Parts: sequence; structure tokens; C-alpha cells
Amino acid sequence: MAIWSRVKSAFRNLSPKRRVAIEDELEDELRAYVEMVADERIAAGMSASEARRTVLAEFGGIEPVKQAMRDRRAGVGFESLWQDARFGLRQLRRNPGFTLAAVAALAMGIGANTAIFSVVNAVLLKPLSYPDADRMVLFLRASTLLASNLVNVREFHIYQRQTSVFQDIAAYDIAGPGFNLTGDRPEQLHGIHVTEPYFRLYGAPVSLGRVFTPQDDSPNGGNVVILSYGLWQRRFGGDPSVVGRSLQLGNEPHTIIGVLGKDFLSDPAADIWLPFQFDPASNDPNHFFRVTARLKPGITLTQANAQLQLATAQYHRDYPQADPKQQFAVGMLRDSVIGDARNSLLLMLGAVSLVLLIACANVANLLLVRATGRSREFAIRAALGARRGRIVRQLLVESLLLSVSGGVLGLVLGFAGVRALLALSPAGLPRIGQDGSAITMDLRVLFFTLAVSLLTGILFGLFPALSASRIDLNSTLKESSRSGAGFRQGKARSLLVISEVSLALVLLICAALLIRTFIALRGVGPGFDAHDALTMEMSLNGARYQTAAGVDQLLRDGRERINAIPGVEASAAGYWLPGDVGDNAFFRFVDRTTEKGCCLTKWMSMTPGYLGLFRIPVLRGRDFTENDNAAAPGVDLVNEAFARQFWPNQDPVGQHILRGKRVESIIGVVADFHNSGLAKPADPMMMSPIAQVSDGYTAAYSNIQPLFWLVRTRGDPQPSIPAIAEQLRIASAGFPVAHIRTMDQVMGLSTARQSFNMLLLTIFGAVALLLAAIGIYGLMAYSVAQRTQEIGIRMALGADRDRIRNLVVGQGMRLAFIGIVAGIAASFALTRLLSSFLFGVKPWDPAVFVAAPLILTAIALLAVWLPAARASKVDPMQALRAE
Amino acid sequence: MTSKQANLLQGTLDLLVLRALGPGELHGLGISRRIEQITKGTFLVKPGSLFPALHRMEEAGWLSSFWGESENNRRAKFYRLTKAGKRQLEVETEQWTTVALAMTNALKAT
Repeated sequence: MAIWSRVKSAFRNLSPKRRVAIEDELEDELRAYVEMVADERIAAGMSASEARRTVLAEFGGIEPVKQAMRDRRAGVGFESLWQDARFGLRQLRRNPGFTLAAVAALAMGIGANTAIFSVVNAVLLKPLSYPDADRMVLFLRASTLLASNLVNVREFHIYQRQTSVFQDIAAYDIAGPGFNLTGDRPEQLHGIHVTEPYFRLYGAPVSLGRVFTPQDDSPNGGNVVILSYGLWQRRFGGDPSVVGRSLQLGNEPHTIIGVLGKDFLSDPAADIWLPFQFDPASNDPNHFFRVTARLKPGITLTQANAQLQLATAQYHRDYPQADPKQQFAVGMLRDSVIGDARNSLLLMLGAVSLVLLIACANVANLLLVRATGRSREFAIRAALGARRGRIVRQLLVESLLLSVSGGVLGLVLGFAGVRALLALSPAGLPRIGQDGSAITMDLRVLFFTLAVSLLTGILFGLFPALSASRIDLNSTLKESSRSGAGFRQGKARSLLVISEVSLALVLLICAALLIRTFIALRGVGPGFDAHDALTMEMSLNGARYQTAAGVDQLLRDGRERINAIPGVEASAAGYWLPGDVGDNAFFRFVDRTTEKGCCLTKWMSMTPGYLGLFRIPVLRGRDFTENDNAAAPGVDLVNEAFARQFWPNQDPVGQHILRGKRVESIIGVVADFHNSGLAKPADPMMMSPIAQVSDGYTAAYSNIQPLFWLVRTRGDPQPSIPAIAEQLRIASAGFPVAHIRTMDQVMGLSTARQSFNMLLLTIFGAVALLLAAIGIYGLMAYSVAQRTQEIGIRMALGADRDRIRNLVVGQGMRLAFIGIVAGIAASFALTRLLSSFLFGVKPWDPAVFVAAPLILTAIALLAVWLPAARASKVDPMQALRAE
Repeated sequence: MTSKQANLLQGTLDLLVLRALGPGELHGLGISRRIEQITKGTFLVKPGSLFPALHRMEEAGWLSSFWGESENNRRAKFYRLTKAGKRQLEVETEQWTTVALAMTNALKAT
């Protein structure tokens, strides 16, 4: 109770008005006491003046009593803290140069941390925006040849039976083929096929109508479609009577049965949802969709995987001819969404903490300098009775003021900075939205920045505060104000500068390695010519495109029309772009027996002219021609990697392979090109003419993948786009083209992650370099100012100016070199961690390990040269007389 | 301070102030005189310790204060016990009696 009463009083006492009133009362109360005692003495016969004098003398002074009463008062700790803060603010305002330098360094350090943390928050920390997202799992499949999260219908039915550990087991398309909304405003819509439990699993809110029932999702469920909120607003103006109306998709009417809620974010994003309507008896071997589910309450991932092991065993009993290594498992959905972005982000977090450490060292150095200048102030305070704790507290309050101002500025800078950066350079990171729009300022980011600010304030403030408060009163007060820092402080400052330099070097080396990686990646000949080539996507919806003949007809007609457009040099089509071929196919040899599960190869189908358009040479044999049609014998091309792997000592041209039951002949060997990203060598790959692909495969492709039209123009392709799109619309009887991009843009996107990493680390490296340079400069400039007298004496004794300059340069560079040696050693240990981010350069790349220290040396030299030049200009007469 | 006057033991000042205010309200000088009187001149409380103690006890909620007129018509600040103060007086009296008895016994023991 007494405590509560004191707390209340403490709050009351904080109000300034109340403080004035209390002061007045104190004065009155004590005066009254003195007067009353004096009255008694006067009554006893003392003279009035004598009485007052004796009372006051016994009293021992009114002021100390008042101070004692103030100190007893509740909340006095707060009050003096507030005093410290105000005094600190005045001190900082009086030294704008110092304050600016310190706040700027901290803002850079804290800002960089806030920037990266806000990305980490959005990508790694925020939960997926689905109900019970921590129980959502993705089905995975491992086999002899590849690990994948794609599923076929047969496997899906096996998964669906595992209801003891999973609920709401749903399948959905990975990207979706796209749908052509035909009619007066043709538009390509992003649509995915899903099974009935999908909406329950993802907790999709329904604005209008309903979601799919098991009946809708059965093979004769009819053409039904669900709209996204966005599409409903865009195409139907939010008309509430839209349910029951018809939507023309690829010239087939679909009945709208529902509209989803505004905030539903699906992955992959979609405008429309259609039911899969799997045939329970389907034997379709193609893996073309993903399956997710929710773990039943209380079931762990391990338990679920144990259950799937049993299912795997059962599968092999049921299908003895299946790949013996095939295995089913689940992983957390969130991990698959985040993917390998985690490593990139951890790298960035590491880099920004180094930047922050350097900034801290820098500010600690500045504080040490200032503390030396203020040693007399502290000595006087100590002489007046301030305890050491009080002085340490004063200094800590000042450093916290600095760090919090730096933090506020850093928060704004970092947040704006990361958004600007992402708008300039797509990061290739998941979950960050369009240009990083999903990176938001939430409590977690604010709390992080606050915590980092307070922590840095203490980190860089504590050591200078402790060392400054260790005062020898006698000598400090006697010393002239110009006398220099003690030996201990000099050593501490040198150590700080050395660590700054070494940390900066580590960052520089990492940045240089990533720059070399980026250059190496850009320097990789992709193996095909991407310049002046256009790509556009078309969704082949409808019955016509379920057969190879229908697709072939469209491709012939479309290419004929495009080729007639002036400025067009060549055209082709295929289901994949050359830099990223995502399909695989099985084959066997006619003349060799092969083990089970062999042989798998990357595979794509293309029109004649595809290779020529990308200037990919056919090394032996011939390219496809228009005559390799459905009626002609089956032919394939293989790349060099394929030839090396499967016919190491033979010419593959003229060899035969089996695809299913059909015999096909290899008619040529194509030069290798990077078919799975620039960072990887070409995978073995086989190519077939689209016209010869089976109807089943054609239908599967039409249902899951858009087709890429490719056009090479003479010069800039942009002006030809409208004409090409128009001709393709005519050829396809009304289909739009979407995602029109130049191949240069496509190639740029493929290295977005690397270029973002490089950009960030280069920025951090530059900041670190700048901070380290300021650190060295500050130390040397200060030491020159301190030693003016000594320099004067040296000159008077005959040292010439060059000698003085070299002395200062030598001292500064000695620190830099120690820092560089330490930095090189640290980098040797640390760059190994970077190896997964590197391409075409070793973690211990000699060029980097020579160039980065050289750059740092040059900057350090510049930083010590200025104070050294000033030292050499000291006028000995003036320096000596000044004392 | 004469040799008869003892230094205030830590904590005894509070008890003495509470005890002095037991019968009714007093101003600062009155409290000081009352303590001198009830301890038969053993304790002389100086204003330097009295006033900070009064303020501390007021903030603890044991005392309340008001401005009034002294016996010779001076404006003075009067203090009186609150309910909490009366309770505190009982508690501290009991504690003190226990301690004093224990101390007396301890010193008598051979």
C-alpha cells in the first residue's frame, strides 16, 4: 500500500506545475519553523536579529534541508533522468558537428538493419495468411532420378486415403495454363484447377454464391467457375447478380457459381478457379499438380511421414513395376514457399550486422574524443559530490539519445530505402509482393529497430562512459585543458579503428566476390542469342487443342501470318523458353537393355525454326523441317550433354530410341545451351517436333502450360508487337497473347536474385568503407591536434615537413595495415560460408583478396593524408607559443 | 548535542514521529518538541532529518498535512496520522517491543 501511495506521488511529482507548488510549500514550511523558534527566543528576551541568526545557524542552512527533502521525494530518479536527458540534449546541440556525424553513422547502421529486417520479417517471419498455416504441409516425392513436389492422379488418390493424419487434402495447378476470356474484350486470365477441399484448406472467404461441391468436382460436374474478387470488380463492376451467369472461356461457356473474398491471396495467384474433375480410374502418368493438406490436430510432421512410409510400402506392393526408389513424404508448406530465400536473407543479415558494428565502433571513437575534451567537466562534477554511477549514467543517457535519434532516422531511411531498391531491382524473393509491397512496417519491425537502437546505444556508449568516469580528480583539475588523452584511451581508440578496418575489409571482400559472381553469370554465354527476340504466351483452351493436329494447325497458320509482317525475321513456338526447360521424359534404347527407371532426360517439343531463331547451332545431322509432321517417321534432336552421357563413344545421329512403344530416330546433335539456369551446366536434353507429340501429351500440355510464341525481328522488336498480337488473334480465332517480353528481359529476371544480392552487398561494402575511412581520419586528425606542440618541438629541433607528414601517415597506415591483415584472416575463415552464393569464382579468389585490400589501403591513405598534411603545415613558432 | 542525547537508531525516527502524532495533529516544531518531551530529552530531532522524514512518510500515505495557524498565529503546516499511519504505528510499536525485549534479554544473558 505504501508502495502504491509512493507510485501515485511519483506520478504527481512529475508534473512541472505541481513541482513549482511543492517548492513553494517547502520554502514556506521551513520559514515557518525558523520564525516560530525565533519567536520563542524573542519572547525569552533575545533581540529579533540575534534570535534569527542563531536559529539559522543551528538549522545549518535551509537549502541543504530542501535538497534532502527533494531527494527523498518519490520519482526523484525519473526527475534526475529527465535532467540528464535535457542536459544531454543541450550538450549535443552545442556540438552539431559531432552530433551530426554520430547520428549519420548510426542512421546508416540501424537503417541498413531495419531495411533487411523488414524483408526478413515479410519473407521468413510472418506466418502464411491461411488458417492454421503452421499445420499446412506439401506432398513431396523422391525417386531415383529426381525429387519433386509434382503429383499425378494415381499418387493423389493414394494421398487422399491417408486421412488418419491429414485433413482437407487438396490438389491444385502449379501455375495454370491461363484462360482466354473471349468476347468483345479478349483477355488472358490466370486460372488454376483445384479439387473440392481446396477452399476449405486455404480458408478462402466467399463473397457471393458458393465454392465447389464434390459433385462439381466429379468427371461430369459440368463447366463451372469461381471468380476472384478482383476479376468480379474489373469485369462485372461488382454486379451481385453475376452468380448463375455465363463466362466464355476459350469459346466454351462456364457457369459462374461464386465469388471469393477480397483479401484472399492464393498461391499461385489466380483470377478464376475451375474444378479438376479427376477421373478416379485415370491412369495419366503425368505429374502436373501439387498437393497440400493440413495435419490433423495433434499430429506431428514426423508422424505424418511415418504414415507415408507405410503408404510407400503399400504402393510398391501394388505397383511392382514402379521405380523402386520412389518414396512419398510431406514438408511444411511454408518452407517450400520460402525456398532458398532463407540463405540469401541470412547472408544479408550477417552483412548488415557488420555494418552496424562498424558504425558503433565509429561512434564509440567519437565519444572517446569528446569525453577527453570534457574530462574537466566530469572532474568538477565529481568534486561537487557526483558519484561515478551518476556520471556514467549521464554519458549513457547521451549515447542513448544519439542511438535513438539514429534509430528513428534509420527506420525511415531503411524502410524507404528497401522499397526504393526493390522497385529498381526485383529481388526474386517470395512473399514480398509487387515491388516489395508486402514489406510493411509492423510492430515487429518497430520493436526490432527500437531494440537495436537501445542495444547499440549501450554497446558504443558503455565503454567510453566507463573510461571517462575513471577520473583522477587531482591531476585532471590541475592539467591544462589542452593536455592529451591518457595512454589507455589512445590504445582503445586504435583498437576500435583496427576493428573497423578489418570488418570493412570483410564486407568489401564479400561484395567483391558477389560482384565477380554477377559478372561471371552475365558473362556466361547462355548458348543461345537472346537479343531482339520477343516471347509471348498464349493459352490453348478448348477441344481443338486437345490433339496434336489442332495445335500444329494453329502453329503453322500463326507462323505464316507472323512471317508476313514487315520487320519479322523468323518465328517459332515451343512450350518452354530455352533458358528454363522444365519437363522431363522417359525413353529406352532399342538395342540396349536398361535397368528399371532409366532413362530420364530433359525434354521439350518445338516447331521447326526454334533453334535457328535462337541461333543455336546443329552440330551434326539436321534440324527439324516442316516435313517432320505427324505422318512422317518420329525424329528427335539431342544436345551434346545427352550425346556424351548416352553415346559416349559413338555418333548418336542415326541411333534409335523407344518412347513408349514408338521407335524414333536421332537426326542431329545440337550445341549445348544453358537449359536450367545460367549457373548450371546444360542438362542432357532431347527435343521433338510439336507435330509429332502424342495427343495425350498435347492435351496435358494444353491444360497445364501456356504456349510460347517466339519472334525475331530486325532491330527493336517493340514496334512489331501490336501487329504480331493481332495476327495471332486472327489465327487462333480470338485468343489474346499475354506476358509479352523481350528475351533480354527474361534473361535479366533469371539473374534477379544474384543482382539484388550483389547490389545490397556493394552498398553495404561502400558504407563500411566510408565509415572506416571516417574512423581513421577522425583518429589521426585528433591525434595531430593533440600533438601540435610535440610537432612544433620536433620541427624546432630540425625535423623537416616531409618527415612530420610521413610520421603521421606511418602511424595511421600502421593501424590500417593491422586492420587489413586481421580482415584478410577473418575473410579467409568467413568467405567459405559464401560459397553457395558464388558462381565462377572461388571463395578465396586471389584477385579479390588482392584488390579489396588495395582499395581499402588507398582509401585509408587518403584518410590519413589530410591530417598528415595539416601536421606538416604546423608553424613551430605558433605551436610553441600557444602554451 | 549533549552526551545524553543519543543518535537516532535507523528506523526509530519514523516510529517516534508516528508516536508523537498519536494524540493529535502537530506542526514540524511541535513534533520536534513532542519527541524531545516524550523521550525525556534523549532524542533531539533536527529539522534536517525531521522534514525529509515527514515528506517521505506523507508520500507513503501514513501522514496527511494541511496548513493552519500556530498557537502564536503563524501560518504553519500541520501533520496528522492517516488510517494507514495508525496501522503502521501499531505494527512498528509491536516490532519495536519485540526487538527491544530481545535486545534487553540478549544483553542481560551471561
